[in-house]
Amino acid sequence: MNLALYHGEPNGPSLTVLAALFAKELPAELIRIDLARGERHTLPFAHEPLVAMSIEAEGPILLADGEAMTDSVFIACYLDDVGRGVPLRPADPYARWETMRWCRQIIERTAPAAALLGCRAYPPQADEGVLESIVSVDLRARWREIMAGRFSQEQLADSRTKIHQAVERIEERLAEREWLMGAFSIADLESFAWLAGMVPLVSEAFAARPRTAAWLARVRSTPAVTRALSLALRSDPSASWSVGPEINRWG
Amino acid sequence: MKPCPLARVAQERRALTAGGANGMQHLQRGIGLMPSVTLYHWEPNANSGKPMLALMEKGVAFNSHYLDLLNFDQHKPEYLAINPQGTIPAMLHGERVLTESTAIMEYVDEAFEGPRLMPADAKDRWRVRWWMKLMDQWLGPSFSMIGWSVFVGPSVRSRDPQELEAAIERIPLPERRRAWRKAITGQFSTEEMEESRRRVALGIRMLEQELSQRPYLASNQYSLADINGFNLAYALPLSQPALSNDELTPNILRWLRAIYARPATRACWALGRTNLVKRVTILEQPHIGGGQAA
Repeated sequence: MNLALYHGEPNGPSLTVLAALFAKELPAELIRIDLARGERHTLPFAHEPLVAMSIEAEGPILLADGEAMTDSVFIACYLDDVGRGVPLRPADPYARWETMRWCRQIIERTAPAAALLGCRAYPPQADEGVLESIVSVDLRARWREIMAGRFSQEQLADSRTKIHQAVERIEERLAEREWLMGAFSIADLESFAWLAGMVPLVSEAFAARPRTAAWLARVRSTPAVTRALSLALRSDPSASWSVGPEINRWG
Repeated sequence: MKPCPLARVAQERRALTAGGANGMQHLQRGIGLMPSVTLYHWEPNANSGKPMLALMEKGVAFNSHYLDLLNFDQHKPEYLAINPQGTIPAMLHGERVLTESTAIMEYVDEAFEGPRLMPADAKDRWRVRWWMKLMDQWLGPSFSMIGWSVFVGPSVRSRDPQELEAAIERIPLPERRRAWRKAITGQFSTEEMEESRRRVALGIRMLEQELSQRPYLASNQYSLADINGFNLAYALPLSQPALSNDELTPNILRWLRAIYARPATRACWALGRTNLVKRVTILEQPHIGGGQAA
């Protein structure tokens, strides 16, 4: 099996996949790309449908025996299946359902909110030529909105609410466990990856949430996450953002 | 609530044809005992149809609890006691409540005996999940915006406005409240509808390209991606005749007919009560030409 991971700073989806790769002890060539400059769209396989139309938008790409794979949670599921070491998902079908449902909520509600707030604080910047090469019309439109600094008050308020809701769910969930699904899993990775950078940006959501604070520290200190974070080029990788998934069009 | 007879028929058929201990398990689970699974669903369409068809493909008997979406059954106290978010479908397995149709399908595949609905190859499974996410979060909402504007909205609009407003107010999730209000009052903007139509057209091209490479969506075997996709696209040559027909999208039509030919699909769509799902019979036509569309 020949793996090459094209990744950005260890934050958001790049962090999920890097940590999953390390947790599963899989050898892979690591290739750094600047997601915040849209470099993903300059890669030779950028126009393949499953890359160009990835719902996750500016996330990492795993090249596995020639096939370009996107969407961090599903890449992590793949790595969990083919790698070694401790499983990153529970074995019991009901607990696996809980894991996939949890990740879906993060993917659909938390990730778009975090990406919007992150991009507002740390705007990505791509050249016009790169923007023009973006295949997905809706993704290109999101790039333009963000680079022009057009953020509606309604979207910002809604995004902060979604961060609050995610932290509330985590705090509640941790009342009975150390990790979100009992044992350390993809749900911890994906939740941490999107929320770590929200601590300074939506600080009130994390105030008086002792279990969440302890969990964030716990995830950060796992060997896989520590190793992924050690690849950071900047002092604070959680301040690296690029255009994320779309906010649900139905509100 | 009553046991779903067609699911039971499917179950018994499997029990009789499957060999050895496997068959006995089906027999014991399906006959003589009340099914331990109850599915709360609307029509075999979109999200409701996903776990319905997955259960029937697996040969799992279930109690069918029909909720009339157009009568707002899903926002009534009896159902909110099962699923406080008021979204359908929901599945009860023993004491446990499961929601989110795609995640329920993965559970159904893993928790029960029967044919595997996820491919054995890990990369194929990644592709199945990728396509399901595209359909659930990008293509599906565009289809349903069009569907709601032409079917759901007009179906309920004639009712007493006060009664409708009260029904909307009972919806637990604020975003669903907004969506329903828009659908009922026909307030989707021109730009929103245009964007949905753009996505549907592009989605059809993507599906055709994918199905020109493989017999099924995402892999070489029938999987949850196909169940998901059929629920989205079963009436495509009727709802989008100018974009999908035997001339323009032969692979989509081949794929839809192959899924419609499966006994589980027939049994599942037979549970439909509205004209919405009866559109599936378009697939019985041997040839659906582009000219027919115009």
